[in-house]
Amino acid sequence: MTSTACFIIVSRNDIPIYEAEVGSAAKREDAAQLHQFVLHAALDIVQDLAWTTSAMFLKAIDRFNDLVVSVYVTAGHTRFMLLHDSRNEDGIKSFFQEVHELYIKILLNPLYLPGSRITSSHFDTKVRALARKYL
Amino acid sequence: MDPKVLKHYLLVHDNQDGDSEKATKILTEMRSTFGPNDCQLLCINFSQDGQTRHKDTPWSTFRSDALATEHLGRFLKLDDLNEIKNLMQELSSKHIIPYMEQKIRLLNQQVSSTRKGFRNQFKNLWWRKGKEDALDTTNGPVYTFSSIESQIRVLGDYAFMLRDYELAVSSYRLISTDYKLDKAWKRYAGVQEMIGLTYFMLDQSRKEAEYCMENAFNTYLKLGSAVQQNATRCGLWWIEMLKTRNQIKEAATVYFRICGEDLLHSAVMLEQASFCYLLSKPPMLHKYGFHLVLSGDHYKKCDQIKHAIRTYRNAVSVYRGTTWNLIKDRVHFHIGQWYASLGMYDVAVTHMLEILASSHQSKTSQELFLRDFLHIVQKTGKTFEVLKLQLPVINISSLKVIFEDHRTYASPAAASIKEGVWRSLEEDMIPSLFAKSNWLDVQSKLIPRKYKESNICVAGEAIIVDIEFKNPLQIPISILNVSLICELSANPEELNSEANSSNVEPQNDEYKTSTSTGDINSSLVLSEVDFSLEGGETILVQLTVTPRVEGILTIVGVKWKLSSSVVGLHNFESNSVNKRIAKGRRKPKHSPSADLKFIVIKSLPRLQGFIPSLPEKTYAGDLRHLVLELNNQSKFPVKNLKMKISNPRFLNAGNQSYLNVEFSACLEKKLNVEQSVGHANAKKMLQNVFHFPEDISVQEETSLSWPLWFHAAVPGNISLYITVYYEMENVSSIMKFRTLRMHYNLQVLPSLDVSFELSPCPSRLEEFLLRMDVVNKTSSECFQIHQLSSVGQQWDVSLLQPVDSILPSQSLFAGQVLSCFFMLKYHRKSSTSEDSNPLFLQSDVRLGPPGNSEALFDVCSSPLADFHDYERLYQGMSCQGNVDFVFITQLWRGNIDSGAPHRPLLFSHHVCHCSLSSFSPISWFVDGPRTIQHNFSASPCGVNLKMTINNSSDAASSVHVKTFDPPSSNSQSIDATASQSGLPLENQVGWFSIPAVNDTKVITTDALAKRITKSVSLESAPQFIWTGSSSTKLKLQPRATAEVPLQICVFAPGIYDLSNYALNWNLAPIEESQGEANKSSGECQGYPYYLTVVQST
Repeated sequence: MTSTACFIIVSRNDIPIYEAEVGSAAKREDAAQLHQFVLHAALDIVQDLAWTTSAMFLKAIDRFNDLVVSVYVTAGHTRFMLLHDSRNEDGIKSFFQEVHELYIKILLNPLYLPGSRITSSHFDTKVRALARKYL
Repeated sequence: MDPKVLKHYLLVHDNQDGDSEKATKILTEMRSTFGPNDCQLLCINFSQDGQTRHKDTPWSTFRSDALATEHLGRFLKLDDLNEIKNLMQELSSKHIIPYMEQKIRLLNQQVSSTRKGFRNQFKNLWWRKGKEDALDTTNGPVYTFSSIESQIRVLGDYAFMLRDYELAVSSYRLISTDYKLDKAWKRYAGVQEMIGLTYFMLDQSRKEAEYCMENAFNTYLKLGSAVQQNATRCGLWWIEMLKTRNQIKEAATVYFRICGEDLLHSAVMLEQASFCYLLSKPPMLHKYGFHLVLSGDHYKKCDQIKHAIRTYRNAVSVYRGTTWNLIKDRVHFHIGQWYASLGMYDVAVTHMLEILASSHQSKTSQELFLRDFLHIVQKTGKTFEVLKLQLPVINISSLKVIFEDHRTYASPAAASIKEGVWRSLEEDMIPSLFAKSNWLDVQSKLIPRKYKESNICVAGEAIIVDIEFKNPLQIPISILNVSLICELSANPEELNSEANSSNVEPQNDEYKTSTSTGDINSSLVLSEVDFSLEGGETILVQLTVTPRVEGILTIVGVKWKLSSSVVGLHNFESNSVNKRIAKGRRKPKHSPSADLKFIVIKSLPRLQGFIPSLPEKTYAGDLRHLVLELNNQSKFPVKNLKMKISNPRFLNAGNQSYLNVEFSACLEKKLNVEQSVGHANAKKMLQNVFHFPEDISVQEETSLSWPLWFHAAVPGNISLYITVYYEMENVSSIMKFRTLRMHYNLQVLPSLDVSFELSPCPSRLEEFLLRMDVVNKTSSECFQIHQLSSVGQQWDVSLLQPVDSILPSQSLFAGQVLSCFFMLKYHRKSSTSEDSNPLFLQSDVRLGPPGNSEALFDVCSSPLADFHDYERLYQGMSCQGNVDFVFITQLWRGNIDSGAPHRPLLFSHHVCHCSLSSFSPISWFVDGPRTIQHNFSASPCGVNLKMTINNSSDAASSVHVKTFDPPSSNSQSIDATASQSGLPLENQVGWFSIPAVNDTKVITTDALAKRITKSVSLESAPQFIWTGSSSTKLKLQPRATAEVPLQICVFAPGIYDLSNYALNWNLAPIEESQGEANKSSGECQGYPYYLTVVQST
């Protein structure tokens, strides 16, 4: 388990539809802000990189000081972004893949409007469980 | 430093200071001192008056930031400039360059002799190795200017300056390895930097150039803050290289890396980095914003607040409209704070407003935001009127306007009922003239067309606006002075004057805005509400506006005070698209803006009505007497009252004479005199609308009471809608009538479950056995049974056994079940011929305690008869041959005394249409001798029987009597035995058939009939045959009886069961179809009929 990990799902329109601080470190106000800033800034890099590879997992694409941003881009160009300070690439990859499955289940819900905020508490608990497992 | 550096002495003389003689004197002195060739004189500023104007500053091409306004070089003439130029050219071409060339030659010679070639290299390496352990300082060894390393460096630099890059690179490379070996890192980095630059100038091997720059940069960084400036310089060179090659993105990262501990330095670099991101293609706006924010933070830390604000403001343009809330909040909050610290409170407030309703933030930051905001607002010392203040949030879709035009409401609950419900209720009561106005309508001419679009309200009557406020924060906030913003144009003449020119818009300048709430003289009265909202709470606020004069009223919006100095405004019109108006009229062109516009007309009478003692909760069957109170508060009387009740099964209007009667006594049976009156009334009641008598009018400031009857017919949640229509007297207005709408909800709990079962009596025609099952379904109540009455066609009900034997106490306790048996007899019509209305015949059975002389209740007069009619209507279609029962109970007396004042007293349960439709419409019985003595030796015995068939249905039917011989039916009946033997016996309580000789009591459902068939047929051999016609067909008219002769022939003495015949019947279809419940044809097995034949001697 990493001390800092911020997971965020960004919709195709650059709108965050799910946010979770999954790190073990104690929550701090400005840390959350910084995480958002770093992740938001990394969107530019994702934009560049997403079309250069056919893989969904883009690995670590950006860094700010000791924080690394790993990104996974789904076929619908929804981006899973993870801000972390560990170097566990395999774990992160598995984490993204499992979250992708969860996300597809959310998409299958006929009442979920794609691109809208994910409010399902079930999804939230699952993601946090996955974070504990892999990160 | 090489002391033998090239020296050249220049004397500059300004002509404005004096003559040139002094200068020449000094020059000769200089020449004598420094040597004649190295000294020179430059005279400038020959201009006399300093008025020489140059098109642009002479140095503008060299210094971009030199300002033209400074009038630099005012005294310089064109000659001066030329002379300066010449001097410089001469200096460089005649002195500097030759010197450098000479120096390069010299150094090159020197270097190649000592360092070039394999031998020298090897020697050098060995020599340095030996030196390694001697010097170990961080800066490496100290090199003097004469040392070979310095010489090489100088050679490289000269070569670089003279653009001999090849030579420069080779020298630098040579020296860099030396520095590296000597661990002279700073010098090494410097040389690397130069190599990078040289490569860049050569414009070849870009990789190499970048590698060298990075190497140099990293080496500088390793050396720490002492060489920070070198690092910065190196980084800037590098950035420039990248920029020239359009690698702007990379340049940005280098800027980021340059950032050090110095805050201001970092801030500048970060800002530059952000610009690089902006300029890169495609522009990386996210990065741009992020670096601007970082830079702004650094500026702030070193107190450069204005710079910080500048960068943040740029960032705002990136983050505008973003949904990344934390980012947006931070940016706006900091800008707000910083503006406030600069004293620019107005701008600060606009930024703080953005973050006021940030619901996603934690409680502490919400508190912080709100506190800072209020603090800033206070400092401005002004009252802010903020349009669309987000605190609290107004749920515009909850906006509901309740107003009363001709439709008035007795309670808020009534107003919330859908208009459609009322409309359908009032449909046949309101004059169609008003309800459906068309273009021919006289009425419509009175109101200009555009006013028909808006709504009408009455002066002095409040318009209620319901709106929801929601606190998006987790901290409580208190809201003060919530009120509506309304405009009232006070020109009542407009109504008339504009009647002919309806398309003229009302003049805007005539509007006067009335926002002062406390002003009594104002033409508007607005209500003010104060409330406080807990975190996340939603409150529905009811605001009212009461116009006092005629005119046109427009509800513009709502306003409130967040603290003492922040006024929030919300304009309803601005987003009227989402608005839902509860009482909007159905018009083809329904413009939402018109919903908030009202025409105020002269004050009118308004009735208030209520039913004081209507229970909210009661038991099914409850029958009681209520009073409707109508109040008229105005000065004008109203007349022509009409009333309609949505659910007449539960509530209907009574006769005025019932107003003050004592309840339950008035229901008791009286002499027949009154009955006809009750009937006449009841007939009228079945109409939908109840007309109050013509002479009734509600005078000014009086009230009218009117009796109502209430009967809780079925359990459930019941909504009662009552509309009272009235017309105004002596009021000349466009409104001729109004309606008062009342709405009540009540809960009816199940009480007694009464069911009846009828079985035809097989031995007698037109007599039925009646079983009544009563279950007390309440949890605590105790009912005292009182009477059972049958209402219907000529039915006579009588007790089969005294009630005492079943229910000694005459009380049904909670959960108790009672079964009772009655005999029901059908009367011929002749007996009731004198009565005009057969429906309201009744026959009662008193079920009360014996010796109780309480009067029976009159089921045939109002209101029981009225309710009974409705029950008949609701409990299904009426077909002939049905019996209705009314079962009346009272609450046990013991309960009544202790109970609440509104206890129900009397319960009536109506069970209608207990029909025989489930049985076959054909009934018959076989008549004949039971015992016969016969001498079989003489002849077989012939027995004559008579079958009487009765058609109890309304349709003509054809009946087919078939007889068949015993053997064929034998196996069938055994089968029947097998299948029927498992029948549950509980149906037989008191009712089981004994094949008695005299009287066969048979339960005549088909199944039971079959069961009896089998009981004796086991051993019987076919000892008789049917003689005569084996099948008879006949037609039976409705309600007719026919007789069919039957004959059997018996061959031996014995006991015979003559049940092996069947009746097929077929009903002729009647015109009005009766639904599927009625069978149109069927077959019945014969009843057992035992015949004993004895051998006579």
